[in-house]
Amino acid sequence: MKRSIVLMLALAFCITTVLGGCSGNEKAEIKTITVTNNGWDSQMLHNEIAKFIVLNGYENYDFQTSTGSSTMNWQAMIAGDVDLDIESWTDNVATYPEDVANGDIVDVGVLVPDSAQGLYVPRYVIEGDPERGIEPMAPDLKTVEDLKKYPHIFPDDEEPEKGRLYGSLPGWMADEILYKKYEYYGLNESYNYVRLGSEAALFASLASAYNLGDPWVGYCYEPTWITGKLDLVLLEDAPYDPDLYLEGKCEFPKQELKIVSSSKFAEKAPDLLEFFKKYKTGSQLISEALAYLDETGATHEEAAKWFLKEYDYLLDEWLPAERAEKVREALN
Amino acid sequence: MKDEVIIKVENVTKLYGINKSEAIKLMKEGADKDTVYKKTGVTVALWDVSFEVKKGEVFVIIGLSGSGKSTIIRCLNKLNRPTSGKIYFQNNDIDQLSKKELLDLRRNKISMVFQNFGLMSHRTVMENVAYGLEVKKVSKEEREKKAKEMISLVGLEGWEHQPISSLSGGMKQRVGLARALANDPEVLLMDEPFSALDPLVKRDMQFELLSIQRKLQKTVVFITHDINEAFKLGDTVAIMRDGRIIQIDTPQDMALNPADEYVAKFIDGADKSKVLSAKHVMITPRCMVREKDAPIHVIEELSRNDVSTAYVVDDSMKLLGVISIDNAIRARKENIPISDFIDRDIYTIRRDTLIVDMLQLTAKSKYPIAVVDEKNRLKGIVSKSAVLSSL
Amino acid sequence: MKDYLLHFPKEWQFDVGDTIDLWIKTFSRENREILTAIRNFVIASIKGINWLLAIIPWWLLIIIVMILGWRISGRKRVGLLYGAMLIFVGSCGLWVHMLETLSIVIASVILSVILGFPLGVLIAMNKRAESIIRPILDLMQTMPTFVYLVPAVMLFSTGKTPALMATTIYAIVPMIRMTSHGIIHVNGEVVEAAKAFGSTNLQTLVKVQIPQAMPTIMTGLNQTIMMAMSMVVTCALIGAQGLGMEILLATNRTEMGKALMPGICIVIVAIILDRLTQGLVKRKEAEQQ
Repeated sequence: MKRSIVLMLALAFCITTVLGGCSGNEKAEIKTITVTNNGWDSQMLHNEIAKFIVLNGYENYDFQTSTGSSTMNWQAMIAGDVDLDIESWTDNVATYPEDVANGDIVDVGVLVPDSAQGLYVPRYVIEGDPERGIEPMAPDLKTVEDLKKYPHIFPDDEEPEKGRLYGSLPGWMADEILYKKYEYYGLNESYNYVRLGSEAALFASLASAYNLGDPWVGYCYEPTWITGKLDLVLLEDAPYDPDLYLEGKCEFPKQELKIVSSSKFAEKAPDLLEFFKKYKTGSQLISEALAYLDETGATHEEAAKWFLKEYDYLLDEWLPAERAEKVREALN
Repeated sequence: MKDEVIIKVENVTKLYGINKSEAIKLMKEGADKDTVYKKTGVTVALWDVSFEVKKGEVFVIIGLSGSGKSTIIRCLNKLNRPTSGKIYFQNNDIDQLSKKELLDLRRNKISMVFQNFGLMSHRTVMENVAYGLEVKKVSKEEREKKAKEMISLVGLEGWEHQPISSLSGGMKQRVGLARALANDPEVLLMDEPFSALDPLVKRDMQFELLSIQRKLQKTVVFITHDINEAFKLGDTVAIMRDGRIIQIDTPQDMALNPADEYVAKFIDGADKSKVLSAKHVMITPRCMVREKDAPIHVIEELSRNDVSTAYVVDDSMKLLGVISIDNAIRARKENIPISDFIDRDIYTIRRDTLIVDMLQLTAKSKYPIAVVDEKNRLKGIVSKSAVLSSL
Repeated sequence: MKDYLLHFPKEWQFDVGDTIDLWIKTFSRENREILTAIRNFVIASIKGINWLLAIIPWWLLIIIVMILGWRISGRKRVGLLYGAMLIFVGSCGLWVHMLETLSIVIASVILSVILGFPLGVLIAMNKRAESIIRPILDLMQTMPTFVYLVPAVMLFSTGKTPALMATTIYAIVPMIRMTSHGIIHVNGEVVEAAKAFGSTNLQTLVKVQIPQAMPTIMTGLNQTIMMAMSMVVTCALIGAQGLGMEILLATNRTEMGKALMPGICIVIVAIILDRLTQGLVKRKEAEQQ
């Protein structure tokens, strides 16, 4: 009895080591590329797309993510411990211009050229939703300034005589600008500016209101799964003016989400650098992929494959022909 | 009145465990406690325990730890419920009592004193003593008056408002006793009340208990593992072993006639001098003469019995003294009545004088000590050797 | 073949996440009146506490804490130290934030006591209740807070209410545990004595078991307060104002120095609360020794 158990264990051990061992040690030098994972969906998806391409279109790289908060990862990138931030919201990084000027951070390319941000409301607030039996609540709400007329639509439970306006995330540049905007338009008289501490909570509050068909107004940005999935309307604002923008007196510019790297990355992976310079998606595209992710319950990895198949032409834009072919082979 | 039975315990058995019926079967087949536990996992705490407690007596249950003595005493106020068997309090089956009646029993009839005092440390002395009155909703004024009375009865005047933590062990048990007495119960259950105290304090407390008991005439059921304590306090002593009662007797009878070897061994540890009295060791004097007897007769009597002294009594058997053979011979030679030669300065004791109290006398006395009754009539004598051999 | 040996079989994996999502969404739709009522009640109570704290002038609050510190520790130095620490909080410009934080902490401690104390008693008295509640307590204590943060927002919106809920879920556990532990471990003879003198179960509980368990229960209260304090930053994540939000603001900007000040203030408040309640525990214990 005892002997047969020992035999079984030995056999199992042999099989696993033989099977597990046969894939190793063939390629020459494998470099590991570390990218940031700051915890939001679009970045995770962008990471997965890049990972699929790096692993299947190139030979000498391994790919891993460093999960943490954006600020921690930013510091790690300056230190050179992390190579890349594939989707960096540089407008929200206070020290970005300085770090680039010092050469601690290198601009590699623009991933999403047209990211929008600002104050959003669910479409049913303006237009109603007959299917869900929701009446229009603020039919004339179009611009940020219009909000002044509707504080009673968005009551703050903690102070019902005022409206509640959800600000951006504490510490983000967008939050500071938004707060100035809130004061500039005189919304501070009738609204409370409520800051949630995390993106998860911000989106949860939006999703919860949406679920209940309740009114909600607050900061949101694209691309995210929530803008891909929920029918939201971006409130209009004065046209963008670079001089007024920081004062909060006009709309947010279309933001560029950048690919940035540590100072050492160019030297470490010159061929990948070429890819990342060209790697580019769009707000609409990625929001659709995120909605796919949310609706089907797919993993980010699966959504990345779906995306690459769906937008096959992108491979040719991003990669040299033979590498694009290799990726296509792996996809099928 | 003295013989009225106040508590009657009939065939009480208490088992802890699941497989009780199997355990009962084994016990009936004569298995011992350990075997039953090994085979069934059931602990036999009490097995077929029966006894009666008479009103006004001190009933002591003695046994080693694990013998079931603490279990049985808790059955008497239903802190424990027997697995089978009946317990009657003043002829009422306590298992049949309603919740209210049970509370009534505990509030008014039976109270308890605990080994580690069971005092409530968040209350003062007064509040502890008044606890039993408090739960039966006696007015504050009244219960404090009563508590005060009890506190002074146990000798703790002036400590009423002190916290329990400031008391010594002996004082704590006085509080425990006062608390038990405050309800004016008929029965006092005392679960090894003095075991946690040091020997000197213990002796004081035993004395205190006896004097209170004599004063208030309470019935006491007293648990101990100390045979000396049992014999000192008990009117009746029950000895327990492995959940059974082996013998119930007065201390004296138990000391003289142990039911079995176990009891004998147990008693071996006892200081019998405190249990046995003159009546247990005295013998009839072999040589007794009357005051009026002629000296020649006395001499004859002495030589016939081969002794050197004779006890002299009057017509009504009252002891007058002792006469030795030398003095009898002198009386005859000088032709004087023996009454002038009687050594009247002798020690006498009563039948129930404890041996411990006569030890000194036997050491001092030239003769065996005479045992007399209340009218000074000679009942017997106790020799030095009898005293020593009884120990 | 290789896959099964090296990896957990994919066929065996299942996902209940979606079902739960759906359930929470439906539940919050169908019970919105109740949830809103709860929310309004919680908001009102926290605002009440905050109002009470805010109505006390700052110097009076400092004096009160100084006196408490002095009386409880028995040393004047300690009172002075507490006063100095609070003045430091004020001079960091964080006084108002401290009051906001305190009102959530106090509200959740009160809620923990109101719910936790009877539950603790129940567990101590009833074996079956214990076998049901204990595993739930283990769950509450080990479940990472972030897991229930988002459902809390879904059910109770953002701000004070979910913050209070999350804090209470986390902080109530020691209150329950220590209450039941205290009651269970009251000296058996003392409980027997209470029963032997004809106490009803309720009398035994109220007159003996609870007072005897008080030092342990107070220790539980102390731990509850400490755990509530430790949730301050987490609560900021769902929009609770106060010191936690200040920390979050600063750390999101990588302003380490600026994050340090509210951090120190949290420590100050925690230390003062801890020492004051522990002082009470020690006094209780001393009384009962």
